[in-house]
Amino acid sequence: MNYIVSVNNVSKNYNLGQVVVPALRGVSLDVAAGEFLAIAGPSGSGKTTLLNLIGCVDTPSAGTVTVDGKQTGQLSERDLTRLRLHTIGFIFQSFNLVSVLSVLQNVELPLLLQRTLNARERRERVIALLDRVGIREYSKHRPSELSGGQRQRVAIARALVTRPKLVLADEPTANLDSVTGTNILNLMKELNQSEKTTFIFSTHDARVWSYASAVVRLADGQIQDRVSAEEAVRAGALPAGRPA
Amino acid sequence: MRGYFDTLKVIVQIALRNLFASRLKTLIVGGIILFGSMLVVVGTAFVDSVDASMSRSVIGSVAGHIQVYSAKSKDELTVMGGMTMEAPDLTPMDDFAALRRTLLGVPNVKAVVPMGLSAASVIAGNTVDVVLERLRALARRKMAGEDVQAAYDSEKDHVRQIITVLAAEMDNIRKIQAEKVIAQDELGAVAKAVSPEFWAGFDRDPYPALEFLENRIAPLASDADMLFLRYLGTDTDAFAKSFDRMKIVDGKPIPRGERGFLFSKWVYEQQVKLKTALRLDRIRDGINKRSQTIARSEELQRFIKQNTTEVKEIMLQLDGQKTANFRRLLQGELASQEGDVAKLLAEFFRVNDGNFARRYRFFYEQLAPMLELYRVRVGDTLTIKSFTRSGYVQSAKLRVYGTFVFEGLEDSHIAGELNLMDLVSFRELYGSLTPEREREVQEIKAVAGIKEVSREQAEAELFGKPDGAEAAPARAGAVDEAEVALRSLAGRQQRAAHASQAYDSAQLEQGDVLNAAVIVKDPRAIGQTIKDIEAAGAKAGIPLRAITWQKASGLVGQFVTMIRAVLYISVLIIFAVALVIINNALVMATLERMPEIGTLRAVGAQRRFLLGMLLVEALAVGLLFGSLGALLGAGIVGVIHAVGIPAANDILYFLFSGPRLHPSLSPANVIMSLGIVLVVSAISSIYPGLLAMRVSPRQAMQSDD
Repeated sequence: MNYIVSVNNVSKNYNLGQVVVPALRGVSLDVAAGEFLAIAGPSGSGKTTLLNLIGCVDTPSAGTVTVDGKQTGQLSERDLTRLRLHTIGFIFQSFNLVSVLSVLQNVELPLLLQRTLNARERRERVIALLDRVGIREYSKHRPSELSGGQRQRVAIARALVTRPKLVLADEPTANLDSVTGTNILNLMKELNQSEKTTFIFSTHDARVWSYASAVVRLADGQIQDRVSAEEAVRAGALPAGRPA
Repeated sequence: MRGYFDTLKVIVQIALRNLFASRLKTLIVGGIILFGSMLVVVGTAFVDSVDASMSRSVIGSVAGHIQVYSAKSKDELTVMGGMTMEAPDLTPMDDFAALRRTLLGVPNVKAVVPMGLSAASVIAGNTVDVVLERLRALARRKMAGEDVQAAYDSEKDHVRQIITVLAAEMDNIRKIQAEKVIAQDELGAVAKAVSPEFWAGFDRDPYPALEFLENRIAPLASDADMLFLRYLGTDTDAFAKSFDRMKIVDGKPIPRGERGFLFSKWVYEQQVKLKTALRLDRIRDGINKRSQTIARSEELQRFIKQNTTEVKEIMLQLDGQKTANFRRLLQGELASQEGDVAKLLAEFFRVNDGNFARRYRFFYEQLAPMLELYRVRVGDTLTIKSFTRSGYVQSAKLRVYGTFVFEGLEDSHIAGELNLMDLVSFRELYGSLTPEREREVQEIKAVAGIKEVSREQAEAELFGKPDGAEAAPARAGAVDEAEVALRSLAGRQQRAAHASQAYDSAQLEQGDVLNAAVIVKDPRAIGQTIKDIEAAGAKAGIPLRAITWQKASGLVGQFVTMIRAVLYISVLIIFAVALVIINNALVMATLERMPEIGTLRAVGAQRRFLLGMLLVEALAVGLLFGSLGALLGAGIVGVIHAVGIPAANDILYFLFSGPRLHPSLSPANVIMSLGIVLVVSAISSIYPGLLAMRVSPRQAMQSDD
């Protein structure tokens, strides 16, 4: 099987002063291309740590993470950055748009960093994408002039503009009302279907599990199980661990 | 490449928008930069202009580009603006012709002017002496049977008038101060001189009477008649050619091959002019040039007070006829019935802001023509007495050919304190020994019993061994005699001969010289030329020290260096402050934008992108406000250039090379200002840049994990 992400027996510890806090303990996970994978778990279960390791913004304390065939622990800071730029798209819980740039410029930014397309090509791709996520008419606006849902659409467009193989979304609906959250998930799912982009998103919201091709349940830094969306919905609750 | 440019564009865009987003901070930082760059532009333009004008003053008046003197000299050479009146102790270089040949062998040297600096006190024109001398001459002619009765009587009247003035003055002093102040024999002498019996016998046998007046009365009136003159001995022709700002005001230049003396116009006005007239001039300058008023200026009031109390200076000049004229004119002008001319004069000089202009004009138009306004006139002979290097007094009688100024520096005492004399006379006054002079000195030494004493033995020689206690006074007496003998030789015999004695160019060329001014062809190469000159001197066996005009002009030359240092230190402080503030502002901006920076890192921005972003932010502020500051500074310089900075005092007058400085802007001033601003901006973005580089992309992930 062709895995876009392979996490193999990974541990991650954070040092808080003298105390070593284990965030992940021996996690192994393979993600196939084209999946729409949810990582579920209560707060503190290690969802974000796992996303950070997969997203190459952090490297494991033990074990290996392989993204698009590259083992992240062996890459330099520079190469990790390059890997993020060319292979991965990010969608953040609080959108994280550059406040001083317009919608269009925010979406264009990764292309500028890539330096592979010329101005016309960039523009065409950005406009098409804005059209696709339904905020073309806001292209000249600043992020502060948009609603939460609109901002997240901008963020999605930014994540997809480089045509990455993998999009990571950290609690993408946490800051949105349920209707908007549903719309965003629908959009992500559509893009997953049409662009064949692999999506991995973390959530502690049981309502969004139904969209996932599979749900990986985390608790206390360990993978509880990996189930289909239906099973997860049927189980109905988060795995044992700290309450949400 | 285009991609790179586009990235830069987005960096600039982010940077500019960030700056706009935090406008207040940007404005504060910008304000400091603006002020700093404005200061740099105005300051450097000002200092550069002063530097240029001052170098014109110094180079164009006495110093030339380079001054050369013997490397064996004890002191360092300063040709102007020294704090003391003492000339520096230089070792003479004994063959000017050889020196000149050597110097002209250096490629960049255009001209060489020989020089020597010294100072002497000069006794000039005691009014009483002059009048008595005239009376003696007239008496002689009268005795010889010439018909000079009228002139003789008038001069006699004048002498009586002088004595009356002196007697009245003594009376005043006695009234004010204790009687003991004036010696009894002085009172007796004056009493005798005013008595009618003294004058009744005068015509019969004038010589003993004249002698009495010369010996006993003249000294009583001889106050403040000593001139202290600094002078420069030089080849006056070469001097005038090389220092073309020199212009003759009165009289004419010293003719080639003649001995002579030229007064600096400044010295001539300040020291030689009638004090009363000088004070009137100063009051006029105070009112016209410095907008002072008599009512408010204590200085002007002091001048007026001095003029009203010191009318003696004028009274001594008045003979019978002039006294009558003065009385008539002053009575008319003041509408007064007062008969005492001294009182009329005092009244006349008691001026106020309302009548000053009229009285000033009246003084110069009506009264001054009857007075000797200057104690020494052009054409007079000046007796200069100077201590030679070996310590005895040497004197020279020199004809005063005229007065001169350095154009544009007329009011500057720094440029004006030096008078000029021919080099040959200078050498004699300085004590250079010609062969025949040396022989004479040897003879006198033999007569007086002087012998050479080594330094080690000097004490024993002077104070004697214990058993020869009386030897010392005896020897001291001998030295006095020798001194007298020397003076008589140097004075009487040769003095008479010198006044008209011309010299030939060989004498001028081959004698010794203390220092020389070098004019160069290319002033930018002074540094190299100095090295070349010293090398050429060493090769020719004349050990030379060559110094720039800045060094040669002493404190004055250092002045610009000082202003420059002050300016640079202020600029340094301002930009140090600016650096700290810009740094702080950027650090704060970085900390505030941690999530944004983290996001940029997460989506694939390399660290140098962030460094570039902060650098561009700092540079943009620097460039924008730095340019505005430079523009403002240029505007200010423009305005100052049009208006001019008035030279409020002597030193400024010299530094500005004239009454006003019109500073001008050069591109270098602006480039320097922007250069400093950009460097400071760049430096101040280093630390925040490092901070931003350390921001982890994890900062973007804000979830509660």
